[in-house]
Amino acid sequence: MGCQKPVSTEGAFEFLFDEEPVSARKGQSVAAALMQAGQYCLRIDEFGVPKGAFCGIGFCWECRCRINGVSNERACLAIAQPGMRVETQEGLE
Amino acid sequence: MSPGHVAIVGAGPAGMSTAIAANKAGCKVTLLDEASRVGGQIYRRPISDVVAASFTSRAEQKRKAGLLAGFGAIASQIHYVPEAQVISAFAGPELQYVSNATTHTLRPDAVVLAAGVREKMFPFEGWTLPGILGAGGAQSILKAQMTVLGKRMVVAGAGPLPLVVAAQMLRAGVDVRALALLNSLAAFGRRPLSLLNGYEAVLDGFGYLATVLLANTQRLKRYVPIRAEGRRQLEAVTLARVDAKGRALPNTEKTIETDVLALNYGFVANAELAAMFGVEMKYGDLSGWHPKTDAFGRTSVPGVFACGDMAGLRGAFVAQSEGSIVGNAAARFCVGDRPETQIKETKTRARHQRFQKVVASSLTLPTGLWDLSLPNTTICRCEGKSKKDVLAAFDQGHLLINAVKRNTRCGMGWCGGRSCLHTVSHMATLRTQNAPPEPMTARPLARPVSLADLANAVTGEADAT
Repeated sequence: MGCQKPVSTEGAFEFLFDEEPVSARKGQSVAAALMQAGQYCLRIDEFGVPKGAFCGIGFCWECRCRINGVSNERACLAIAQPGMRVETQEGLE
Repeated sequence: MSPGHVAIVGAGPAGMSTAIAANKAGCKVTLLDEASRVGGQIYRRPISDVVAASFTSRAEQKRKAGLLAGFGAIASQIHYVPEAQVISAFAGPELQYVSNATTHTLRPDAVVLAAGVREKMFPFEGWTLPGILGAGGAQSILKAQMTVLGKRMVVAGAGPLPLVVAAQMLRAGVDVRALALLNSLAAFGRRPLSLLNGYEAVLDGFGYLATVLLANTQRLKRYVPIRAEGRRQLEAVTLARVDAKGRALPNTEKTIETDVLALNYGFVANAELAAMFGVEMKYGDLSGWHPKTDAFGRTSVPGVFACGDMAGLRGAFVAQSEGSIVGNAAARFCVGDRPETQIKETKTRARHQRFQKVVASSLTLPTGLWDLSLPNTTICRCEGKSKKDVLAAFDQGHLLINAVKRNTRCGMGWCGGRSCLHTVSHMATLRTQNAPPEPMTARPLARPVSLADLANAVTGEADAT
């Protein structure tokens, strides 16, 4: 049970989060790639509260964000693609 | 005579083995699952095969490979629909699901619900901060995406999962700054004979414990998070020691800087579809409201079966042997036969169930945990409702879950109450000192879907099945 680090640059690419480039690997969800990059906040809800991935598996809808211009996409389920545009969502959209 | 059609909801260990058994019995099988690949939450597989590293025990990998191979052998003979959202359940039985932005209707001879469980967390000050998430969710992301969610992590919870997650994160190179367990794992040792029933899980457990001990991870016994701080995301968590009733003890607070707080205080059954079918429900401290089933997975509604964790929390081992039993019973129901006892599977299930009783004791939560939050702490994350909103509804005499929902909007947001209603239920129990008298009424649609998806319905398909 040695220490295996999951870090690999193979299949790496970039997508945009609020205009800034973020590195991701093939098969990573948008939420996973962002959290690995230290970005946890994906939405400011209608009450002004910052929100991010909470259940991690799709039932809570807390990680809603805008992906390629489409609002309310779940970052924990959406698979990151090269050149994707991801944006923090604000309020009800 | 046609051997009939069995539709299964959920492709975890229970749903997969149900599919294998029903296929073997000659039935037409439809398997609907929300994920993009089979395996459920426990047997998660990397979406990408770029990195093949694994953090689970060898024994678990072997069990997973065995089930996946068994399923692989029948996959081409069944109708397996990944990324399917089951939205409604009606008498008949009839199921509606959305797949590829299209709504489909199924009228099978029997339905087997194997929808599993979701994680249970209790609210505390600051718990909505980004960076705080389910330990099982974080584990799924590690297993499926080979991704660690932060450099520094605190893992907190009850039962065996937090230990497993802490060990797997350590093996993946995360700085696990503390492992806070509500109940001592030493409790397992008090019933050594019961442990033998679950020797597979116990062996895995020793491996995970060894990892945590070797890493010299700070272990905080009977500590729970009471406050999280950060501006746009989590920066630090404060934990406190609690007494036997779950009340925070003064002068025990510890503040730890961290990027991620992974939490698991047990599970809640995904019982919405069972409730929609109108089956008789049962309340359990372990996983809340769930369908009442007999030894063959039969619910009170003929033709509707349930198995695995959603029919009472019992773990993956029980789920897998139960799937075989229930798949067989459902197939026999289709042709009007009574179920037959499968001696080997029933014995295996009974052995694992004995072990699960020991595990259950470590998942019993003291009621005070549901009262650690402050008046302004959010309870319903979707609708932004706080503890004082819920208490105000209680003061007005609304103590039933459906009444609280109508009067506060708790549970009426995007998640459909999956994140907060168990908390409301526990808060009401704390107030009345009585077990909750009724489950939440479940109505279509079980998932938020767009009107366009609903309008885009496939007609004529149901009759063809």
